Amino acid sequence: MVESAPTSVRIAAVIYLVAIVAFVLGPLAVVVGVSFTAGDYITFPPQGLSLRWYEAVLSSSVYMGAAITSLKLAVVVTISATIIGASVATVIHRGRLPGTSVLSALFLAPLVLPTIIFALGLLIFWSAYFGRTSFAALWIGHTVIAVPYVIRTTLAVLSTSDRYLEEAARTMGAGPWKAILHVVVPQAMPGIAAGAFFAFNISFDEAIVSLFLRSPEVITLPIQIYTQLEYSPDPSIAAASALMIGLTVVLIFVIDRVLGIQRVAG
Amino acid sequence: MNAVQLDNISKSFGNVQVIKNISLSIAKGEFVSLLGPSGCGKTTLLRMIAGLEGATSGTIHIGGKDSTRLPPELRDIAMVFQSYALLPHLTVLENVMFPLRMRKIGNRAEQRDRAVAALKLVQLDHLTDRRPRALSGGQQQRVAVARAVVSSPQVLLLDEPLSNLDARLRESMQEELILLHRQTGLTTVFVTHDQEEALSLSDRVILLNGGRIEQEGAPKALYSVPRTRFAASFMGSTNLIDAELQPHGDGARALLSDGQVLLLRAKHSAKKRATIMFRQEDAILAPEPDNAALSRGALIASVVTQIFLGARTRYVLDLGGHMIRCLAPAGQFYAVGDKVELKISPDSIHVLED
Repeated sequence: MVESAPTSVRIAAVIYLVAIVAFVLGPLAVVVGVSFTAGDYITFPPQGLSLRWYEAVLSSSVYMGAAITSLKLAVVVTISATIIGASVATVIHRGRLPGTSVLSALFLAPLVLPTIIFALGLLIFWSAYFGRTSFAALWIGHTVIAVPYVIRTTLAVLSTSDRYLEEAARTMGAGPWKAILHVVVPQAMPGIAAGAFFAFNISFDEAIVSLFLRSPEVITLPIQIYTQLEYSPDPSIAAASALMIGLTVVLIFVIDRVLGIQRVAG
Repeated sequence: MNAVQLDNISKSFGNVQVIKNISLSIAKGEFVSLLGPSGCGKTTLLRMIAGLEGATSGTIHIGGKDSTRLPPELRDIAMVFQSYALLPHLTVLENVMFPLRMRKIGNRAEQRDRAVAALKLVQLDHLTDRRPRALSGGQQQRVAVARAVVSSPQVLLLDEPLSNLDARLRESMQEELILLHRQTGLTTVFVTHDQEEALSLSDRVILLNGGRIEQEGAPKALYSVPRTRFAASFMGSTNLIDAELQPHGDGARALLSDGQVLLLRAKHSAKKRATIMFRQEDAILAPEPDNAALSRGALIASVVTQIFLGARTRYVLDLGGHMIRCLAPAGQFYAVGDKVELKISPDSIHVLED
């Protein structure tokens, strides 16, 4: 057993920690700070303290419309990505079908491909065959991006499970579908839940595909924030962002309570 | 009607034929072991009976019903896996109830009663609400056994169920399996690579080699009269010697390379080279022979090394250039290099087919 790390490594670790806090948590703190400003401009530190920008966001039909679009989108993307991802993971895990490795590479491709290329391709494809972009286009786009995460988390859990469980279920009278329902799905549940969580979050704050495929009818919250920033920046942006952060934190908290964050992350 | 009937079963994976035309009948209530080294096809054969592997050719009948093309869930079988394959998200009781639920046997209350009864058989009815993870290896193993017997299948299939247990636990589980078999009367097929386990548990041992049945028979018969060189060496604690067989009186004799002679009971009309065998416990050692002994043709060997085993001592002897092993009572002692007389009854020496 190693007694202690060399001093240089320890110093590096401390620097790393400080950097994480500064660059990850710092911006969050700034955004949340700005959101409570009483002034009319985005300045940090905030001038005075008020909830007026929260009020502005919550009473704005534009913001609330975008938020509802984003939530609806995130929910349907979570459902579709979870079903597709969990099914694909089950098939890949068994590895009995020919071409499983090709399949697995194909489904994980969105992880490594630049999203901007995918977004552009989808826009061109959609315009050529379906005309105006719509909610359905965004749904498909987000699902494609989210599916690899569900596959990864489900596979991670399945790979540690007893590979004979499904066969055992068959010898106990369960047909192929019953074996999946009663044995494979309960086994994979922590991974599927983690994947669903990722899918929701990815869709909820996805910006590139949403930006390319936006139309006046489908503006998601991140796009609304971006548009506001571009054309008439005011602290409502910060308030809307703080609300998004809040939702994510609540979600993490719920997942932790229900599943344990360790199981989901590990 | 046989519980299990295999007719001309073959199985190939790609170009490799792992099961070569095996036919086998297992009577109702019989305890049969499939024994052999790894890669002999014993597990594949068991999985074919279970329906987890399809047969390339041949037919499988289970309980008189042609099951060759049936999926596992439609065969009247139960299987205990080497890894036990307990469902981790279910309690012990739910695990044992699982086959009844899947096969829709009885209502919920009856399923519960049967599961508890099965757990009683393996003395685990006090742990019904535990999760498999919270059990020891031996306990998990017993849950797997209870789960397999709960639906009273036509045939119980066991795939090396004891190989993950430590030596002491394995012994006590062997005894429990024998008792369980007696209590339930279930037809049982047991796969193992451990010859002692096969000998001590089964009514009949099927020795497999390279996808074929090498030899089958009652444990005693297989142990004392192995027919082939493979069977003899796999059953263990045996001496194999290449010799020239010659007709001799009523029986035959084997001529060793140094000119010494062993008398055999078996008849051999013609001269031929063959492998003969005798077990290490069938040779009796006597102190260095005198001239009288030499004149009546006693067998002489010299001590190469001795290994103290407690109750007995194992001697490695040089018999005309062949290294052989013999067991002697602890009271006898011979030093390395001593000449000893070897007495082997002609009944204990067998000629092997190659």
